[in-house]
Amino acid sequence: MIATDQALLEQALNGVEDAFTTLYRRRQGPIYRFALQMTGSTAMAEDVTQETFLTLILHGSRYQEARGSVAAFLYGIARNLVLRRLEHRSGAELEITEDCAGPEDLLEDLTRRESIEHVRQAVLSLPPVFREVVVLCDLQDTSYEDAAGVLDCPVGTVRSRLSRGRAMLVRKLRGAVCAGRSVECSPKGT
Amino acid sequence: MQSEGYIAAALRALAQHDAELEAPLRVEDRARRAFRRNHARRKWGNIAAWGLTAAAAVTIFFISGSREHPKPVPKMSVRHELVAAEPKPLEIAAPAPKPRKADPVKPEPREIVTEFFPLLDVAPPFERGELLRVMVPASTMRKVGLPVNEEHMTDRVYADVLVGEEGLARAIRFVSYEQ
Repeated sequence: MIATDQALLEQALNGVEDAFTTLYRRRQGPIYRFALQMTGSTAMAEDVTQETFLTLILHGSRYQEARGSVAAFLYGIARNLVLRRLEHRSGAELEITEDCAGPEDLLEDLTRRESIEHVRQAVLSLPPVFREVVVLCDLQDTSYEDAAGVLDCPVGTVRSRLSRGRAMLVRKLRGAVCAGRSVECSPKGT
Repeated sequence: MQSEGYIAAALRALAQHDAELEAPLRVEDRARRAFRRNHARRKWGNIAAWGLTAAAAVTIFFISGSREHPKPVPKMSVRHELVAAEPKPLEIAAPAPKPRKADPVKPEPREIVTEFFPLLDVAPPFERGELLRVMVPASTMRKVGLPVNEEHMTDRVYADVLVGEEGLARAIRFVSYEQ
C-alpha cells in the first residue's frame, strides 16, 4: 500500500528517515520546478527546495489537513522562501542549463527552445503576484482551490490574477510572435 | 480569444519542457543530512531536558529536604538505621518492672517500581553509575508513555534515574508506595 503524504510526514516528524526520503522524492520535483519557474535560477531553486523540506522537518507539526494537502503546504513554504529571495534580488538571473540536442534536429530544437525561453522570460518578467498564480495554475497544474490555499486568498482572486497575468503575457509575447517565433501554434490575429 | 489559446499553448509547452526537471541528487543528500542532524539535535535536546528535569528535581528535593524535613523516602538504608536504633529494654531492679509497651512499628510502605525506560536511543557502553532517587512532575511519566490523569500532571512523583559515571542520565523508572 502506498503511504499518503500525511502518513509519511507524521513518520518523518517522528524521526523515520525513510519516510522523509520517500516524501522528499515524491514532492521535490514540483517544488523545484515551482522555484525555478518563479526565480529562473537553478541555484536558487535548489536552495529553496532544500530549505522547503528543512522547514517541513522543523515546522511540519503545524500542518493541518483541513487547510489543504501536504503538497499545498509545501508549496506555501516554497512560495514564502521564493518571495523572500526575490525581494533581495535585483533583476532576473536566468541560469537554466539545457541538454544538447543531436545534429539532426538541431535547428528545430533551437527554434523550439528559443520560443520556450521567450515564454519563460515573459513569465519571469511578470510581477510576483501574477507570476505565482501563472506558475501554480498554468505550469504546475495546481487547482484553483489549492492555489488559493497556497496563496492564502479567495479562489476568485486566483481567477482574476490569473486572467490578468495571462493578459500581460500576451502583451509581452506579442513582439516575439510578430517576429515569427511561435510556440507550437501560431496566433492568427491577436 | 485566439490570444488566450496561444498563451495557453505557450504555457503548456513550457510546462511540458520543464516537466522532467528535478532537483539534483546533491539537494537530496543535503536535505537528508539536515534531517539526520535535526533529528539527532532533537534527541539530544530531549535528553538534555530529561537531565535538566532530573537535576532540577534533585536540587528541589535537597533544598526542600533541608528546610522542611518532609517524610523521608523509605530506603533499605533507612530500614537498617531503624533496626539499629531500636530502643533497648530498661533495666530497673525494683519494683517489678512494668513491661514497657513496645512502640508500634509502622509497616514500611511497599515500594512499587516500573520498568526502566531508556533515556538514550544509542547509549555509550555502561560500566558504572549510580541510581539517584529524585522527584519529578508526573507529566514526566507521560513522556515515556505511561498514563497520567490531567489533574495529576503537576503532582510530584518519585523516580530513580540511572546516571552513568560520565554523567549521562541513561534510564528512569518511576516509584510509588503501597501503604
